[in-house]
Amino acid sequence: MINVTNIWKTFKLDRQQRKERQNGKQNRVVHAVAGISFECKPGRIFTLLGPNGAGKTTALRMVATLLKPTSGTITVGGIDALRQPNEVRKKIGFLTGTTRLYDRLTPEEIVKYYADLHGMDKEKFRLRKNELFDLLGIHEFARRRIGKLSTGMRQKVSIARTIIHDPQIIVFDEPTVGLDVITARHIIDLIRDCKQAGKTIIFSTHIMGEVSLLSDDLAIIHNGKLCYNGAYDDFRERMKTSSLDEEFIKIIGEAEG
Amino acid sequence: MKMSYIIFRKELLDTIRDRRTIISMIVVPLLLIPLLITISSRMFISQTVEAREKILTVGLLTHGNAPDLRSMLLADDRIQLKENITADSARYLIEADHMDAFIEIEPDFDSHIANLNTGTITLYFKSTGDRSIEKGRVLRYIEKFERELLADRLHSLHLDESIVRTVDIRERNLATARDIMADVIGGLLPYMFIIFCFMGGMYPAIDLAAGEKERGTLETLLTSPASRFEILMGKFGVVALAGILTAILGIVGLYIGFTQVKEIPTELVRTILGLLEPQSIILLLSLLFPLTIFFASVLLSLSIYAKSYKEAQSIISPMMIVVIVPAFLGMLPGVTLNTTTALIPILNVSLMTKAIIAGTVTPGLLITVYLSLILFAGFGLVICSRIFNRESVIFR
Repeated sequence: MINVTNIWKTFKLDRQQRKERQNGKQNRVVHAVAGISFECKPGRIFTLLGPNGAGKTTALRMVATLLKPTSGTITVGGIDALRQPNEVRKKIGFLTGTTRLYDRLTPEEIVKYYADLHGMDKEKFRLRKNELFDLLGIHEFARRRIGKLSTGMRQKVSIARTIIHDPQIIVFDEPTVGLDVITARHIIDLIRDCKQAGKTIIFSTHIMGEVSLLSDDLAIIHNGKLCYNGAYDDFRERMKTSSLDEEFIKIIGEAEG
Repeated sequence: MKMSYIIFRKELLDTIRDRRTIISMIVVPLLLIPLLITISSRMFISQTVEAREKILTVGLLTHGNAPDLRSMLLADDRIQLKENITADSARYLIEADHMDAFIEIEPDFDSHIANLNTGTITLYFKSTGDRSIEKGRVLRYIEKFERELLADRLHSLHLDESIVRTVDIRERNLATARDIMADVIGGLLPYMFIIFCFMGGMYPAIDLAAGEKERGTLETLLTSPASRFEILMGKFGVVALAGILTAILGIVGLYIGFTQVKEIPTELVRTILGLLEPQSIILLLSLLFPLTIFFASVLLSLSIYAKSYKEAQSIISPMMIVVIVPAFLGMLPGVTLNTTTALIPILNVSLMTKAIIAGTVTPGLLITVYLSLILFAGFGLVICSRIFNRESVIFR
């Protein structure tokens, strides 16, 4: 379970950033996330949908304890993310579309590294590794260096690395960005499998197809604020346009006023 | 600590598989240094021998004076004498490197000598340091000629040679071979030692911080249960270890260079190696540890701040000058270890290394050097840790 309550994230702008914005205002800060609240439940997929720069990554980084909220509270699995970030990190798996791996290590070494960081014992690691390597078909290239693997192979290793410790909560930040259809499908399948296993899943995307494929709960974020937050089925029922794309554009348009 | 060790182990494996690190950590100190010593000493020796053995072309214009000097020069079969040449032609030939020296004796030289006056001999040469041996070979004959003229003059005046010697200067150099070598090696050793220490940690620091940021692997690591301090310590350990190993391998490279080059006299090699007693080595290593920690903290701080590998390289490379300058200052004569210089990092290591080799270490100054290095190393670590905890730096 993830509980996010009224979180804000404010960044100071440097001179260059202020110049680049050119909005005529002399704002020295930007609110990347402005008072959002949501809840992710076990066995359900929570989708954070928004255009580029809406605040999705910032929000997920705060959930994963990479960033500290300026204000507000986050609890992950009942643990306060601000007070006990290390404890929260023990419970989560984090995968982004831009995740890279160590080119000079092998898939086996990388997975072992993260298992060690999560304090897994040898036997538990061996069983879990074999299970994941079988599932993802990693065995055949398990001892080749990452630098020599294809993008698809690397993504499989990233998945194994993310879930080696069998986390109860998994954060996916635009996990299919830049991937080919087959590799993207692996990720979609993984997210579904995790849901079946009763895990709490939060994932961000700007691809409508993924929203309809996966979402149980949906939040639409724009300019750091939530424009919609509720069950995906309710959202479908209340749609006033013919397609998801149209509805999304309409909501964003309304939010911009 | 366990987390830091896991990170250290992985970073070490990653680092030793990095070709650039292996080149700067192992290839340069172990292969390049002995090779450089071999090549430079062979070149030096062969140039010296060549200068001593080569046949010199010397121009001579006597105006019929100083026949004894002419005879001396003619008697040397390694001097080819060109006579009756004008000063202008000789100058041109010397400048064009077709002549090594030109001796011009003034027209009234013999009559000046006969009248107990001073005669003038002008020696033309082109000296750029490496030509001093050739110049010395010609000057030796002129000085010998002068001594003979003086002896003749004193004899004709029925005077003893001792009358022109008012003071008999007797030099007694009490410096041992160790003292003399310590000054030479003591200047060179810390210089190499400090540079290698910095250079060894440079690539691992860039790769493990800026490189990891650029590759996008740092973000993943930060979502692991390891705290930022534990991550930093794991990386820090590898950077420091690389610095220490490179410095040690640099010394080993020097040892190999000195022992394997046959052209370096055995006595000299023995003296150099004799300077490095076990006690000196232990003291040198004890200086190396805090120095490496200081370097590692500076290198990691800069690398963490940088956005990319390239930016880290452009920030860190000029730092080499900041390291070289105090290391070089320690080599200058007159710069000595005292309570002030013992507080300046890098310079204090340079000067203390000299003192260790010369065997002139004083406990008070040694403690001051340690305290200064530990203080700077600790300060560097605190700064590094603060930088690593700043979101604006990590997600620049």
